[in-house]
Amino acid sequence: MSGEAGQKTHSMRSEKPAASHVVCLVEDDPLVLNSLRHLLASDGIAARSFDKVETFLAHIEVQQVGVVVLDIWMAGMTGLEVQAHLSSMCYQTRVIIMTGSEGPDDERIAMQAGAIAFFKKPFDDEQFLAAVHEALRGIYSK
Amino acid sequence: MNERDRIDKKSDEHRKSIEPSREEQLSLLQTITMEVAAAKDLSSALEVVLRRVCETTGWVLGQAWVPNQDGTVLDCGPAWFCAEADLKEFRAACEGSHFVPGTGIPGCVWKSKQPVWIQDVTLEGNFPRNKVAAEVGLKGAVGIPILTGDEVIAVIEFFVHESRAEDERLVKVITAVAAQLDLVMVRKRAEEELARSNEILQSILSNMGDAVIVADKEGKFLVFNPAAERMFGGDATQTSSSEWLHHYGLYLPDRVTPFPDDQLPLTRSIRGEEVNNVEIFVRHDKAPNGLWTRVNGRPLRGSNGELLGGVIVCRDITQIKEEEFFRAGQSHLLEMIAASAPLADVLTSLVLLLEGQADGLRCSVLLLSDDGKHVRHGAAPNLPEAYVKAVDGLPIGPRVGSCGTAMYLRKPVVVTDVLTDPLWSDYRALAESCGLRACWSTPILSPQGEVLGSFAMYHQETRGPHPEEMRLTEIGTHIAGIAIERQRALEALRESEARISLAAESADLAFWVLYPEQNSAWMSEKGRAMYGFTPHEPLTRGSFVSRIHPDERAAVQAAFEQARASQQTFEIEHRIVLPYGKTRWVITRGRCLWDEDGNVLEIICVTIDLSAQKQSDLELQVQREELAHLSRIALIGEMTASLGHELNQPLTAIANNAAAARRFFDRGQIDPAILKQLLADIAAASHRAGEVINGIRGMARKGKSTRSPLNLNALIADTLRLVRSDILIRETVVVTDFDSRLPDVEAAPVQIQQVLLNLIMNALDAVQALPPAERRIIISTRSLKGKSVEVSVRDFGTGLPADRAEKVFDHFFSTKAEGMGMGLTIARSIVEAHAGRLGAEDAEGGGARFFFHLPAAQRLSISKAA
Repeated sequence: MSGEAGQKTHSMRSEKPAASHVVCLVEDDPLVLNSLRHLLASDGIAARSFDKVETFLAHIEVQQVGVVVLDIWMAGMTGLEVQAHLSSMCYQTRVIIMTGSEGPDDERIAMQAGAIAFFKKPFDDEQFLAAVHEALRGIYSK
Repeated sequence: MNERDRIDKKSDEHRKSIEPSREEQLSLLQTITMEVAAAKDLSSALEVVLRRVCETTGWVLGQAWVPNQDGTVLDCGPAWFCAEADLKEFRAACEGSHFVPGTGIPGCVWKSKQPVWIQDVTLEGNFPRNKVAAEVGLKGAVGIPILTGDEVIAVIEFFVHESRAEDERLVKVITAVAAQLDLVMVRKRAEEELARSNEILQSILSNMGDAVIVADKEGKFLVFNPAAERMFGGDATQTSSSEWLHHYGLYLPDRVTPFPDDQLPLTRSIRGEEVNNVEIFVRHDKAPNGLWTRVNGRPLRGSNGELLGGVIVCRDITQIKEEEFFRAGQSHLLEMIAASAPLADVLTSLVLLLEGQADGLRCSVLLLSDDGKHVRHGAAPNLPEAYVKAVDGLPIGPRVGSCGTAMYLRKPVVVTDVLTDPLWSDYRALAESCGLRACWSTPILSPQGEVLGSFAMYHQETRGPHPEEMRLTEIGTHIAGIAIERQRALEALRESEARISLAAESADLAFWVLYPEQNSAWMSEKGRAMYGFTPHEPLTRGSFVSRIHPDERAAVQAAFEQARASQQTFEIEHRIVLPYGKTRWVITRGRCLWDEDGNVLEIICVTIDLSAQKQSDLELQVQREELAHLSRIALIGEMTASLGHELNQPLTAIANNAAAARRFFDRGQIDPAILKQLLADIAAASHRAGEVINGIRGMARKGKSTRSPLNLNALIADTLRLVRSDILIRETVVVTDFDSRLPDVEAAPVQIQQVLLNLIMNALDAVQALPPAERRIIISTRSLKGKSVEVSVRDFGTGLPADRAEKVFDHFFSTKAEGMGMGLTIARSIVEAHAGRLGAEDAEGGGARFFFHLPAAQRLSISKAA
């Protein structure tokens, strides 16, 4: 029945807790990671920090993520690969990509894959926070 | 005595009748004394005595006995007196008798040195002649000794017919007479002695080779021996010594200045002076060539010291002088040779010297041409010019006169008559027209036995060489050989000097020779230009010192002195300052030449201008450094990701933290703990950014990098941090495998980091084509026995280009589209500049392995060992 299908869908969604308004930060440079957390905190946004890609991947196995800020160049896997992975998992996760070292196609790939925003480090705090807010609104508007 | 008493008694009765009266005795003594004094010798004096005694005293026979030459036996002397003819029988018996001491009357007298009187010899036992005496009727006898001093020089004996008793007075008279004989003997002997020594002296004077001349105070000649006549001319005695000079050529040793007459040795000795070894050259009509004499003179003085005249002894030293002159001539020749006089002059002087040693001798020296096949004129000052010209250039051979043949056969050739000898068949007419008849030639050989030329002697008559001429030939060939050899050596030296000079001129070398004794110096043209001396400026040691840079003067002088003292070569690098202030780096090498006594004759130096080399060295270094710099800049370009990333990260953290802080303030809710955290993070991020910038700045910095002890493990870790982002972006895993006991190396950190970066970036490139999971790089270090350190960067790419492993280090070789191809070349040059080695090989299990070795820093490894 529809319930079944719905359940199925639900069950698929409900397998993991629903995405919260907590913003996930994935950045293997602790200094940058902390600075992002503080920046979000200064705007009243709670954030969950991941300094290793592996930890974040483990996290999304058990928890849906509403907004994630991904650094591209990280040991083990790039932010763009994480973004692709999230898409493949059919998550509606809003993704913000940032990079300290821009590859020629990085921004295009990120945006085509549905990223909310693409930031080149260092970036403007207002714009960044605006992007985070936009991403969060998207979650709530759903 | 008893016997004598007996005789006395027996004769007593006859005494009065025989004994001469006192007057008679005195008369006898007088007569005998006068006659004995007039006697010309002992023998006639004895006769006088014997006769007078017999006549006066009635003895009938008197005779004398004299010791023989040995003094062992008395012989019957020639003097005797006999008043009666029938006593001759007794005399004859005596002449055949000889008496030994103690036998008979003569023997008894000889032995006792006393008179012996016998009354009757026929009754006497010790009288060997008693039988004859009895026959002729002699009985009385007396023997008297004739004494000179203590020596019995004769015994006289007298006999009478009757037995006669001893008459003491008579014995005294006869003894007195005998004493007269002694006086005569002494005088006569002295006269004989004088006559004999005069005779000897005369003989010596006549036969001696030295001239002896004695003159009285007036200069009148007293002695002029035959040698003096030979030396000074026989008629020299015709004049007085003071006029001598005007008649006979007496000269000073220069042979032309007349000897000052008041200084002549005889004149001086007559004045009372002693004259020693005065040499006089004498020339007169009997000695037209002149002769040399060495004169010694002494004043002649009487027994009481008054001056009587003078005596000179002159020795003919002509031969000694000639030999001396000849030797001096040879010495002069050797001096000429030593002074490098022209060969023609030396040989001409040689020929003239030898020709002067023998009459009618003509000599020549011929040289062997360089091709060894022809004769060349050497010297022949007294041979006809036509002959000399005809000989010059003739080939040598087995029948080419004396010289050509001697050179050909390498042995002496003697031709006593050129008109008949087959060797001269081709040259007879030439020799004849030039009046040459005999010619002998000796090859002149070098010490190595090489033929240099020939020495020849010519005569105008047919003859062979005299021994003296053989000796001259030996001297002539010897000296000519030295001269020719020296000439050849000089020519060779000049040639080699010219070559060296040419080489020096073209090689930017300065040649110079310092003569310390003369304080002078010679310098090549190039050298003068190098040192800024004008071409003809006289040079001294001071000239050189003044050019040496003041900072290095002491060092250069010390090097010089040490070379002088140690007899070694020296080499010193120093600057010279030119008059207009320009400075040049030079290197001077030198060597001292010594004489046999160890004195420094000359210091030979070569100076090389290093300025050009120094400049190019410097330029090369600058180039190398610039290249390395460029390469580093290129590396930085390759590290774009890392550089951007590494800087952007901390900048981002700073910006974020700052923004957060501002926002907390804006909201008015600031937790001091959070603020503190923000500020600490900002500081940490700033610090990190600073490190990144420093790292890049170090890489980009230009210029020299200084070496210091370096731990490569730490340097590799730093370097990996620098390229962390690139490694990250290229999704490559870099594994390090460090040897924890790695010794330090002495190296320039920036340069080694450049090498490491090169290798790491290359490795990153090499693994890029692999799937990310397989992109691995292993960087390892290890100590090679503590002596050196190996750093290895191993990738898992495709390995080295096949067959071109070494090419990766070539300039412009690159497998990368964007590579300059300079990286590895420069890396290798850096490693090699650190006395290390950079290599590459295909690694086992795939991929390439680049590695470099650097020597361990000495001091640290030693301190560790301790």
